[in-house]
Amino acid sequence: MKTWIQTTALSVAVLGLAAPALADELTVYTALEEEEIAAYVEAAQAAMPDTKINVLRLSTGKLGARLLAEAGNPQADVIWGWAVSAMMDPQILEMLEPYAAKGVDVLPDTFRAEDGKWFAPIGYMGAFCVNTARLEEKGLPMPSSWSDLENPAFEGEVVMPDPNSSGTGYLHVNAVLQSMGEEAGWAQLEAVDPNMAQYTSSGSKPCKAARVGEFTVGISLAFTAMQSIEEGYPLAMVFPEGGVGYELEASGLMASSDNKAAARAFLDWTMSDEAIGLYQQYKALITVPGVDASEVAEAAGLPADISTVLADVDFIRAATDQTAVKAEWRERFGR
Amino acid sequence: MSVADQNTRDEARGGLDADRLLTLACVGLPLIGLILFFAYPMAIVFLRSITVGESYGLGNYAEVLGSSGFWRATRHSLIMGGATTALSVLLGFVIAHGLYRCAFPGKWIIRSVIVLPLLAPSLVQALGLIFLLGRNGVVSRALGVEIEIYGFWGLLIANTLYALPQAVMIIGAALVLLDARTYEAAEVMGASPWRQFRDLTIPAARFGILNAAFVCFTVTITDFGNAAVIGGDYSVLATEIYSQVVGQRNFNMGAVVGIMLLLPTVISYTIERQAMKRQRAGQATGQVAYRPSFAPLRDLSMASLSLLICAGIVGVIGIVVYASFVKLWPYNMALSTKHYDITLAGGYSSLWMTIVISLAAAAGGTLAVFLLALGLRRLPPAVAQPIQILAAMPAAVPGMVLGLAYILTFNSTATPLYLLYGSAALIAIVNFYHYHTQGFLTVMTGFRQLPQALEEAAGSLGAGLARSARDVVAPFIAPMLVSVFFFLFMRSMVTLSAVVFLTTPDLSVAAVTIMRLDDAGLTSQAAAFSTCVMAVVCVAVLFMKVTLALMGRRTRAKGEA
Repeated sequence: MKTWIQTTALSVAVLGLAAPALADELTVYTALEEEEIAAYVEAAQAAMPDTKINVLRLSTGKLGARLLAEAGNPQADVIWGWAVSAMMDPQILEMLEPYAAKGVDVLPDTFRAEDGKWFAPIGYMGAFCVNTARLEEKGLPMPSSWSDLENPAFEGEVVMPDPNSSGTGYLHVNAVLQSMGEEAGWAQLEAVDPNMAQYTSSGSKPCKAARVGEFTVGISLAFTAMQSIEEGYPLAMVFPEGGVGYELEASGLMASSDNKAAARAFLDWTMSDEAIGLYQQYKALITVPGVDASEVAEAAGLPADISTVLADVDFIRAATDQTAVKAEWRERFGR
Repeated sequence: MSVADQNTRDEARGGLDADRLLTLACVGLPLIGLILFFAYPMAIVFLRSITVGESYGLGNYAEVLGSSGFWRATRHSLIMGGATTALSVLLGFVIAHGLYRCAFPGKWIIRSVIVLPLLAPSLVQALGLIFLLGRNGVVSRALGVEIEIYGFWGLLIANTLYALPQAVMIIGAALVLLDARTYEAAEVMGASPWRQFRDLTIPAARFGILNAAFVCFTVTITDFGNAAVIGGDYSVLATEIYSQVVGQRNFNMGAVVGIMLLLPTVISYTIERQAMKRQRAGQATGQVAYRPSFAPLRDLSMASLSLLICAGIVGVIGIVVYASFVKLWPYNMALSTKHYDITLAGGYSSLWMTIVISLAAAAGGTLAVFLLALGLRRLPPAVAQPIQILAAMPAAVPGMVLGLAYILTFNSTATPLYLLYGSAALIAIVNFYHYHTQGFLTVMTGFRQLPQALEEAAGSLGAGLARSARDVVAPFIAPMLVSVFFFLFMRSMVTLSAVVFLTTPDLSVAAVTIMRLDDAGLTSQAAAFSTCVMAVVCVAVLFMKVTLALMGRRTRAKGEA
């Protein structure tokens, strides 16, 4: 049977149906943004000329579904830059192998796993996307906090992602609950609910809907807000007072990898000075101590000291509370 | 049933002649495909749905049935399915009737516009509706009132746009072949046009109408894309699956909902089969093509209604094409081609591979459904019936469920099928089986109109199955085969939900590139790329149609000489 499979595999490979699996190829699954992937991979490829780096990019949610579906025979060698709250799903942790990448020890404990299964030198933040043209047209005041969105004048003007479908949705809900405390947090979400036009299934959609003027406020991602502002949409990026939610982009080594040497080398590269230099060009949130966020981000309206706008988030708790919080949210706000 | 009778008689004689072997091959090969690439993956999904921890049980079903969200989504799905079906079948019948039973000029416009929603990536339809009918859309701004498109009505329009071409294709297959002589006889006997319509057209089209209704209902309850973009908070079963699988990484619960979605489909198909039993199959005699004469009231109203629907379709898709040439929709309307300069997400490289995959899916798929439908006619009903239900089931599976089922099935080294994983062949295969139902039912509807006398005559003149299939059946059924081919080709070019889980770093398709551009926030570039895909499909279809027409002319010339 084995030889039959091998012979067929060979002939299929010759026919060009399936790419032959070479030892010096590395398969990386990521949810980072297209633009940064292109820049990082170019640099990483130059640093590792003997390894061909193949990257598959999917959104956070779809990547999770794919990883779990492939769990019986994982195809990836490395998970790179993926939401840590998804990474901490026990079904995913089971597939990872501890590895201490070179230079990872500079990261504070909160930004890497105790057992070494993941580390996160970068992250992304949530934000309110406020369409200034529509705000003016409707005569609405610029919101600066969650409680500002309680104003009945905002009825039907606010959109946010559903935490049960979108990691970004959970990012915001979790930040409200952790920064205000359970009781006050739920009360805050309850107070905003009547103004919510819809709960979307995608995390970036609220910002995209707000930028074309369908709604005034999209509770969404800072990345999408900055990208939209750069494109010229009449958009303001607002970080709610009391702290905005954020997410770490974690990386880890797949235990099933058949090319661990290259996988480790790649993970080492993601902590290299060169990589960190590139993060400064693209990332708003860098967890490496003493490294400032990008100038681009600053130009788009991010404060110099990013920690002043971030909510105080405990990622371990966020991961463990996940199921209960989502269920309760569904109970209260499910439409 | 006389073909089947013939078959039984052959069996009684106990002869295993070449014809019976051929029938077995006709049914057997497509059936093996259906089992390997549909039934087997779905069996694995079923296993996941009853997996609780390390063992099996019905716990997941109990949990899903116990949640109020599930029942709300079910209610919404059924209402939406029913409403979309009613609207699509009604409008689909109007258009098909206009195309094949009425006389007015410019039918080619309707014929080409009506298929546009099939070749438009789902992003285009969603963007088009929002740009046109959204709160800040063209119509709202022109009227000065904000239309609330999100929710039931928006979803109904979006679903109808998508279901309508499929309804036209299937109902058209029933109407195109009606015999002119029956109408002449009715005319001579003094039957009014209304009477002719009621007593001749409607009964003859009933099989097509029921099949179209089945397809519309099924594709509506399984569609996620429209619900996510324009459905607002109108939760349906497909959004429920997305939330379980993608949002909460809860595979087994998603599998439960996926399996439950099969139920209404199997039930409605069984009811339909029962209803069809009462109707005679096929036409009794040979046929003369119907040439409608101009009837002002009928034709002008049919034409204007059809053109109105077409204007809507052109509006929705046209506005996205226009927006792709605009600097910053809707704030800076200056024209520009900057969005066509696409470098991220692999640029234009995926486009060519997608064409190859789509041609393979369309050619292989058309052949498979033709052979299956041909062979099924010669099998006794007791055997044919279950195969028919299986062949009509794939539409009941949401693309996402099918895509994930393919990973679970083919990414396992336990079987040689693993060789397909990560290959372009598997993407062509998933595209075909995703749309198997529509192709199969169109060809079946066409076969329904095939005069049995014709096949019997060929048989008694000594033509075997192979010969009568080639010389009698295939030419007769050719128009349906052509529409099935183009249907499969167009859908394969743009469908996303299943293939998004099957692409690899080296192998991407156009729909995934569009999704990645949109994910990166580059919606205008995604619209530009979509425009390119639509243009390529239009050119390809046009090229193939011209080739077909030339071939047809040559064959006819040969016949005359």
